[in-house]
Amino acid sequence: MAAANAFDLVVIGSGPGGYVGAIRAAQLGMKVAIVEKAPHLGGTCLNWGCIPTKALLESAKTWDKLKHIEELGFKAGSPAYDWARIMGRKEGIVDSQRKGLRFLMKKNKIEVFEGHGRLAGPGKVGVTGADGKVTTVETKKVLLATGSRIRQLPFAKSNGKSILSSDDVLSITEVPKSMAVIGGGVVGIEFASLFARFGTQVTVIEVATQILPFEDEETVGELVKNLKKQGVTFEVGTKVTAITDNGGKSASVTLEGGKPREFERVLVSIGREPVTNDIGLELAGVKTDRGYVTTDSHYKTNVDWIYAIGDILTTPALAHTASAEAIHAVEAIAGKNPNVINYQANPSAIYCYPEIASIGMTEQTLKQKKIDYKSGKFPFSPMAKAKIENATEGFIKILFEPKYREILGVHIVGAKATELIAEFALGKVLETTVDEIGQTIHPHPTISETVMEAAHAALGHAIHM
Amino acid sequence: MANQIDILMPLMGEGINEATLVKWLKKPGEKVSKSEPLLEVSTDKVDTEIPAPADGVLVATLAKEGDVVQINTVIAQITSDGSVPQAKAAQPAAPAKPAGAASPAAQVKPAAAASSPVKTNPAPAARPAVSLPQANLTLPAAPASSVRSSPLVRKMARDLNINLGYVPGSGLNGRITKQDLEGYVSSGLAEQHAAQASQGANVVYVATPQDALGKSARVQTQVIDGVEMMEGNPVRREKMTKMRRLIAEHMVESVRVSPHVTTVFEVDLHNVFEIREKHRAEFEKREGFKLTYTPFFIHAAVQAIKQHPIINVSLDGDDILWKEDINVGCAVALGNGLIVPVIKKAQDLSLAGTARRLNDLVTRARSKKLLPEDVQGGSFSITNPGGFGSLTSNPIINQPQVAILGIGAVVKRPVVVDDAIAVRPMMLVSLTFDHRVVDGEGGAMYLATLKKILENYSEIPL
Repeated sequence: MAAANAFDLVVIGSGPGGYVGAIRAAQLGMKVAIVEKAPHLGGTCLNWGCIPTKALLESAKTWDKLKHIEELGFKAGSPAYDWARIMGRKEGIVDSQRKGLRFLMKKNKIEVFEGHGRLAGPGKVGVTGADGKVTTVETKKVLLATGSRIRQLPFAKSNGKSILSSDDVLSITEVPKSMAVIGGGVVGIEFASLFARFGTQVTVIEVATQILPFEDEETVGELVKNLKKQGVTFEVGTKVTAITDNGGKSASVTLEGGKPREFERVLVSIGREPVTNDIGLELAGVKTDRGYVTTDSHYKTNVDWIYAIGDILTTPALAHTASAEAIHAVEAIAGKNPNVINYQANPSAIYCYPEIASIGMTEQTLKQKKIDYKSGKFPFSPMAKAKIENATEGFIKILFEPKYREILGVHIVGAKATELIAEFALGKVLETTVDEIGQTIHPHPTISETVMEAAHAALGHAIHM
Repeated sequence: MANQIDILMPLMGEGINEATLVKWLKKPGEKVSKSEPLLEVSTDKVDTEIPAPADGVLVATLAKEGDVVQINTVIAQITSDGSVPQAKAAQPAAPAKPAGAASPAAQVKPAAAASSPVKTNPAPAARPAVSLPQANLTLPAAPASSVRSSPLVRKMARDLNINLGYVPGSGLNGRITKQDLEGYVSSGLAEQHAAQASQGANVVYVATPQDALGKSARVQTQVIDGVEMMEGNPVRREKMTKMRRLIAEHMVESVRVSPHVTTVFEVDLHNVFEIREKHRAEFEKREGFKLTYTPFFIHAAVQAIKQHPIINVSLDGDDILWKEDINVGCAVALGNGLIVPVIKKAQDLSLAGTARRLNDLVTRARSKKLLPEDVQGGSFSITNPGGFGSLTSNPIINQPQVAILGIGAVVKRPVVVDDAIAVRPMMLVSLTFDHRVVDGEGGAMYLATLKKILENYSEIPL
């Protein structure tokens, strides 16, 4: 029998990249180990990201509905929420998923090493446990899936009380009266949308001229309009010069050329940075560029036995992207020669209200790259099902190449945007043009009919307009 | 200025869109006289020589030996005084302009689409990572449907007039992606394949490369240490000749189109044998060639068709086309392939006339002197593998005909004649017919008639 601590593949990091890669490798017959330094498996996505935030956002959505419940014909007195139970529900969901992950590791006979994993010479990974003891495992290949961590403002480190990171916010014990969100990226906007709906006076401060700068101007414009209605105020194109804690009770934010403004809580969500220091990259000779690991199109680093995926690459820092990359890398290791991932077919999803989802290029990118395009747009408002579901905000916009009507980009803002984008992800992978989307029979009445109508609009013959 | 004449690749038959330039018989600078052969060309139907249309000097040859050339493409130029024509001589890619009166082929039309440059096959090494079918095919205008692509790719391919059968797919499950298509176009392969592609809409019985020999018929090989291996065994790869490839296509297409049924009869050739023995010496002296059994079979087959005209039809959709003339194609083996010259209006020929016509065609087929019209217009075919000793055969119908007669070897056997055992020259004869139009009864009745004719030949004028 082979040595107990000898593996075909060791995965460092158990986020949606790492654990998915580990399972796929086990399916392909490899002997697999996974290393995790956090107390729980699942990485940022499960513990501090996608899952807990979406659990809270679902509560916000329900709360929003309850606030307008009389419009639906219900008499529910004066509804109230219990923040502790909302947080508890979130914890329950996360916990249940963690248990599920443990089970999946066991089912696939993946050995879990708890501790800090570091590359430790050819074919070796050292795992430093909580007690400081180092276990060295041998492996043929390594998949680096160490993910990312919160980026801190150098002049305003989070204190867990008045100045919070997105990790801290997840254990906030009550809804603040006011909150400054520094950084209008995906994380900042989702929290802004969450707290605004629970009654917090939210101010979003973004250094760029547009929040969600990588999203299409038009969908973002629609979102901003809606967020403003919900009471969110925006300070864009401006820099924060100082944040000072007021004894843990509040913090004051000073904008460039302005006076300090006091907020009960300040959320610093200025982005994430790759976890590439202290994992043994230098020792192993793995090439990096500004902190990000560089790989070939099969996610192999310059070192033959080391692969890397997910947030430590410059590809989009999204859970589903990491999963796809991990499956690809592991299949490449298994000699399966998988198809190179087309990032133009990689959707993104933002769970504020209304949601934003997109795929491919934005209109501003097309303009900037001087790519010839046309646009077809259709709002949800005339669609019966959107009215039934009280989800009439927003629209679907399809950007396409005029000659063959190849879909270049799709931008959706609306209540179901993140679900609707999947159709276009399939469409992009199969190189479907606007014509086939329009010719696809969509069930009636659904919100997905709007997809078909947007295609019809693109071709100049929308039915319901 | 000297009178300059463009020599175009002539149209050599219906459905023929290109020909292989086999050999230049004259070199640039040589004098040529009118009707003197300039070059040899080869098509699926015929190998022939192209004569000079006028006296003059061959000043330029614009295609190389081995090139596959579209019809109506300029392949050579002659001038009355040998001066080099301006501008055009060194441009093999020159479009085939409407060459008008000087054209060697009377049926030359201003070839609107004939601007394809003359090119040789793409080198197999051009894109080593992919395997491409590199055939010189007459391609139908529509791309084959059996390749995986995408709506976008199909639109682009239609627009760019690209046959997707040639494009290697790198996408999910071998799907051809936009990138693959663009790569194919920018590699120049598209242009080369297009140069070989069909220009006319009159291609009727030409299979797509996928249908006939394309992806569905491909095998997996790998190159290990420079040796190509198939299922672990070394192989040597050789391109099919044009004739081979076209035969392959026609056979596959015929089997696809027609439900083949074969029926077999035994014929006593006693009478035929007697007649042949009686006349052969005198016949050979008179005609200058040997009297074989084959003319008897052809003649009898034609007489039988007169009684069973359904054997001599073609199908056009759900219409049956009844033919006035019985034009019998006779398969002639050429060693590396076969050709099927046609005895026209065989219903008007005597046995001796049939023998003479057959001898002429076979002689010319073997010396590559057949004319395009010699291989066109067949309405029924006969193949004679009996000549090689085969007892019976199951041949494939020559589309768009509906039947083919297979002649077996003539073998002396003991047979029962009038309740006594006699030694007789016996032969098995088979009719393979298209069951869409001919039923078992019709096929059997035809062979019964043929048998009766052959067994009852008495004295016939020779």
